[in-house]
Amino acid sequence: MSLFHWLILRHLKQNFLRSILTIASIAVGVAVVVAIQLANRSSVRGFEAALNAIAGRTSLEITVAGVDIEETRLTELGWLREYGLVSPLIDADVLLRPASRRFGAGNEAEIVRLLGVDILRDQPFRDYRLLESDGRELVTTQEFLQLLTDSRAVVITAAFADRYGLEVGSELDLIAGTRASALVVRGVLGDEGPARVSDGNFALMDIAAAQWVLGRLGRVDRVDIRLTDGMDVDLAEQAIRERLPVGFSVGRPVRRVAQVERMLRAFHFNLTALSFVALLVGLFLVYNTVAVSVITRRVEIGILRTVGISRGTVLRLFLGEAIALALVGCVLGVPLGWVLAQEAVRLTSSTVSQFWVATAATVPPLDLGYVAAAFAIGLPLSMVAAAIPAAEAAALTPLATVRSDDHLDMREQLPRRFLVGALLLFLVGGWLATREPVGGLPVFGLLSVLAVVFGAVLLVPVVLFGFSNWGKRTITRWLNVECRLAYANLGSAIPRLSISVAALAVSLAMMVAIAIMVGSFRETVVYWVGQTLQADLYAASARQGSATDPVAISSEVEATIARHPAVVAIDGFASVDVAYGDSLIVVGSGRFGVLLEYGGLLFKAPEDWRHAMAGAVGVDAVVVSESFSLQHGKQVGDSVTLQTPRGPVPFRIAAVYFDYSNDRGVVVMDREIFEQHYAVRRPTGLSIYLDSGSDPVSVRDGILATLGPDRRVIINTNSALRTEGLRIFDSTFTITYALEVIAIVVSIFGVAAMLLTLVLDRKQEIAMLRLVGAERCHLRRIVMIEAGVLGIVSQAIGLVIGLVLSVILIYVINVQSFGWTIQFHIPGVFLVQSSLTILVATILAGLYPARVAGRFAMSDLSAEG
Amino acid sequence: MYRVGMSVLAVHDVYKRYARGDREIAAVRGVSLSLDAGAFAAVVGPSGCGKSTLLHLCGAMDRPSQGEVSLEGRSLATLDDDHLTRIRRERVGFVFQFFNLLPTLTVAENIGLPLLLAGGRADTVAQSAATWAERVGLSHRLDHFPQQLSGGEAQRAAIARAIIHRPVLLIADEPTGNLDSDNGALVLNLLRELNTDAGVAVLMATHDASVAAGAALLVRMHDGQIVGVEAQHQDARLAHKGVR
Repeated sequence: MSLFHWLILRHLKQNFLRSILTIASIAVGVAVVVAIQLANRSSVRGFEAALNAIAGRTSLEITVAGVDIEETRLTELGWLREYGLVSPLIDADVLLRPASRRFGAGNEAEIVRLLGVDILRDQPFRDYRLLESDGRELVTTQEFLQLLTDSRAVVITAAFADRYGLEVGSELDLIAGTRASALVVRGVLGDEGPARVSDGNFALMDIAAAQWVLGRLGRVDRVDIRLTDGMDVDLAEQAIRERLPVGFSVGRPVRRVAQVERMLRAFHFNLTALSFVALLVGLFLVYNTVAVSVITRRVEIGILRTVGISRGTVLRLFLGEAIALALVGCVLGVPLGWVLAQEAVRLTSSTVSQFWVATAATVPPLDLGYVAAAFAIGLPLSMVAAAIPAAEAAALTPLATVRSDDHLDMREQLPRRFLVGALLLFLVGGWLATREPVGGLPVFGLLSVLAVVFGAVLLVPVVLFGFSNWGKRTITRWLNVECRLAYANLGSAIPRLSISVAALAVSLAMMVAIAIMVGSFRETVVYWVGQTLQADLYAASARQGSATDPVAISSEVEATIARHPAVVAIDGFASVDVAYGDSLIVVGSGRFGVLLEYGGLLFKAPEDWRHAMAGAVGVDAVVVSESFSLQHGKQVGDSVTLQTPRGPVPFRIAAVYFDYSNDRGVVVMDREIFEQHYAVRRPTGLSIYLDSGSDPVSVRDGILATLGPDRRVIINTNSALRTEGLRIFDSTFTITYALEVIAIVVSIFGVAAMLLTLVLDRKQEIAMLRLVGAERCHLRRIVMIEAGVLGIVSQAIGLVIGLVLSVILIYVINVQSFGWTIQFHIPGVFLVQSSLTILVATILAGLYPARVAGRFAMSDLSAEG
Repeated sequence: MYRVGMSVLAVHDVYKRYARGDREIAAVRGVSLSLDAGAFAAVVGPSGCGKSTLLHLCGAMDRPSQGEVSLEGRSLATLDDDHLTRIRRERVGFVFQFFNLLPTLTVAENIGLPLLLAGGRADTVAQSAATWAERVGLSHRLDHFPQQLSGGEAQRAAIARAIIHRPVLLIADEPTGNLDSDNGALVLNLLRELNTDAGVAVLMATHDASVAAGAALLVRMHDGQIVGVEAQHQDARLAHKGVR
């Protein structure tokens, strides 16, 4: 331990700044990984927490594929009582607003989970702690029942009541889709059971009243079952499944969490992979620090070896240095990760709710699991990063170290094995890119990225040697003395510079790759939007639902719109979520006739899509999205069997279309066929086509005026919707860029640390330069030029490797994760801007080392005396 | 006081003190010295007697804690760092025991470095470097790197670098200390030639009595003070002030 203290800890303390930079890099790397894990967990956790609170003691639930259940069919399920207690219920998201806030500013309503239950049947399932106005608890069912006899009665949570100053007797507006109902608070729930959902955003009604306010008379969402105590859930589930009528399905509530997890899996997987880039860069710096530590203490190591320290001890000492750095890095990184997670959740939650599931995302508490995971990742990886320099230290012989000085390694020969290794890794990367996904995840695609990244790392010294040798023969002849010196310094320090340059180059390559991918994606989406948004106006409910919880437009609103003289056609889009294999897909409807006349989808296959679509009108045929086609291996002409309330029905695939709004897979059928199979559903969005001479804005204003002030419908013009679409698109990739910026900042720290090391290492040479007449400004310029050259070389490597990685991202990882075809596009302006910014940042990173260089004393040069 | 001709270097009652923990140590104590153009003086004394410190002060590498150092009649005390740098670059040359060549530059580049730093044109500097390399017998080594040279060659390259800008004063700190006797003699002869032919004043510190014997005047130091000055040749032109 004392040896470790003398040789390692004291050294780390002496090189305080370098140690701090390395620790900060590890901390940031670990923090980013932890933050993404927490953010990923939070998006599922919000859903899971709400589900658990609502499910209560429910063992199993009965649903019908994609749609709700007609109450009349419940008679077919009378036998369910043999298994335990049964409770049919309504479960919906609605908007709730105190009546006092109906008008004027601040009239926004909150999204609240509404449960409509038969309280007599439901009390054994869920814990409702009803409070009287004095806070006393009401316990009897009779008391509870009396509260809900009134069809306008609603019970809210104490948290919601406190937030708005509500009490028993207060009036509320409940808005569901385009319907609004006035309700009266009849009771307040204590913080228990379902009342805990989403900070108390929960309301309870009698099932009949709920059906009324939601406009869903005679329908329930599902039937919950609480099995008789002691009954085996698996056996009961199996038995019930066998007896259920066609169209019904049975499952545990928790299966919905699994479905959400599956939907988000690819998104989370890719974010996790991206977060490791920051950690990777941090690990490069660990390698760098330990390598520098070994190089600058060769003599010390030699002396230790001379006095009898074994190779094993030397190895352990330097691995110990990496562990010491990583330990502090992890300790700081975990809480930092939790802080970063707040921001990551903010950045990802809008994407998650926009595309997959509406959820109240909050960062989960930092439990031991995350802490252990951070250490389990950070410590071994740091040891791996330090393994090579530590092994080099252990291999030093006493004689070799005493003979050699501790100057920079002047390896003039190109290490051929690096070039061979790089080429081999590129080949392996290419091969991996051709492999199929594993369980729907682009595992080989990411391994391919990793192979290319490590290939690039090996390529860095080769490029630096080539650049240096070429430069010696050509450019340095024309450059001024500072450039020549900077060039000479860099040329002699290639083995040590390589890792810093590699770290920066890899970060830049990832940024370039992501910029190209996002730029390509954006261009593709712009084109797709241009092709598919053909209608002049688009109507949707004012309450923006998520993909899994769309809000319907009432028939009154649709009729009002249709009556406007400028409106020539309306196409409504309705959809339901249907289980398909292990995943949930979207089954949607549109009027194929309108589609044929006005366009609205961009088809991938067949070429003569008009003919194919004409043949799909009014028959059991569907068009499927590209992601559905790729994920499930279905092509035009194949048959796809969908679950419907009347059991599984086969549909012929008439065409495949591009859809970048959804990666779950969408199956669209003609409205008429949809209504036939999935009962009548109100559309959740309307495409409104106007006659050619009409001004969309004035038509929209006219329709909105007719609908009145409390209309709860938003109508977008075509151009406004395009702008909004791109805004959502851009916000989706904010987290991606944020992760990349972190990686780049860390690697620029790395360049600063490396330059500082080089400056300290060249102390004598710098002093000599001062002696022969170099002014401080000369030295500053030399170091800044070195920083700039490192920036340029990193940029060049980053651009080339980034281009290669972007091809893998676009054509392999993206297709395997989301099933989207993207047209390749290079965002030139962005790349030029970012390259210049990073170059300037890299040069600025040389400021501090440059200042240090100007401080060296010349007296170090002479012999003592 | 003993002096002949015009003074290049004048050191008057100079002290140099360093802090060592909570103590202060005077490396040079009350030294006065004057050196004229074309002088060749060797400073001798035991390790730690202050030889190198005195050379640093004379070569504008460091400032005295007290007293005054003048070069060509100009006091160095009031000059800022940039001015001192310019004086070193234009009026002083340095040779050290460990050569101190830049390992990243070729011999030609190392020799031409002072001229390059002064803003000289690359082709002119290269020509000048080649001339001085020939003078010190290194014309066949111009494109070699320092680590490819022998010790004697490296020191000759260092001497060429020290003289290329035609300084008035050459500071040589143990110039033969890291060389074998043959190479040491070669380097010493070279210094003498430069002293005689170019008229550059040489102030050399050495442990080696045989090397010191080659100088016209011998300055003996002990405990940071000059304890004696001996003229070893008839043409000696050194003047000194003794210990206060």
